[in-house]
Amino acid sequence: MEANALDQALMVVGTVMIVWGAVSDLIGALGMLRFPNFFVRLHAATVGTIWGAFVPLIGVSLFAAGYEGLGFYRWFMAGGALVTAFLLLLLAPVGSHALARAAYRSRAAEVKPKVVDFLEEFVKKVMGGENDRA
Amino acid sequence: MDENVLLNMILYALPVYLLAFLLYVVRAVKGPTIPDMVLAVDALSYDLAAFLAILAVVFKIPILIPVAIVLALWIYALDIYVAKYLESKEMGE
Amino acid sequence: MIEPKLISYLFMAVAGALSLIATYLAVIEKDLVKAVIYSAIQSTAYTILFYLLMAPDIALVYIPVAVGLYPAVVFFLIKKTERFEESG
Repeated sequence: MEANALDQALMVVGTVMIVWGAVSDLIGALGMLRFPNFFVRLHAATVGTIWGAFVPLIGVSLFAAGYEGLGFYRWFMAGGALVTAFLLLLLAPVGSHALARAAYRSRAAEVKPKVVDFLEEFVKKVMGGENDRA
Repeated sequence: MDENVLLNMILYALPVYLLAFLLYVVRAVKGPTIPDMVLAVDALSYDLAAFLAILAVVFKIPILIPVAIVLALWIYALDIYVAKYLESKEMGE
Repeated sequence: MIEPKLISYLFMAVAGALSLIATYLAVIEKDLVKAVIYSAIQSTAYTILFYLLMAPDIALVYIPVAVGLYPAVVFFLIKKTERFEESG
């Protein structure tokens, strides 16, 4: 069965995005394992979620839109993957930021490669050196 | 290009995902602090959502797609719970 | 052409072993917040198992209960008591 040119282009682009997502997922996981502390590992988490999950989901969407073998339900699969991709694009950074803010304010993780911390100086100056970070 | 060639390429990419999941789990199990573990579980679940969507296309079963949406939505709740617990030491209210 | 069933069985084996390890760690852990996170890893592994055994309806119910509601209830409970379990 020979698909038409547009469907073939969609499938090739989708496959490339899925394979690229697998590679960058591995890179993000290696960074998550090797980096020294929490605030550095946030960078690896960004690579792992945006390049490793958002890009393959868009690839799945394109692949399913061009894949004749799925029948009529290919639009359902393409739409579902697209909705998941955009939910993930919104939710993953929000979750990471909430976690980083909580880790900073509750002193759960140490800010290790630190050159200057203006927030801490501000809190010390304005609030008179309270124990809690504001 | 034939679609079987493309499907075969996707199938060869799946063990790479498995390797990445194992590395995330190593960090999630031995992470020294609580935010480390939650961040690793978070990234693991988002990548798992992408992986489940890929498997739904490979197996050609359309009803498997909504699991990815539900997983991506609910793992965000775990983030917010832990952040709220760490930050204000106060749940609910 | 590698067989999709082979990959499916490989993932099932890994997820089963993973859920066993996570459950053991959750049982012996003294810090209760860490125990909740180990339990989240276990429920993620169970999600893979339910999905690959072609039960997406059970997975759709299991994810909100095991990832959403159960940690919320347990965190509320930890808030009311102490975070660290006493050894001995």
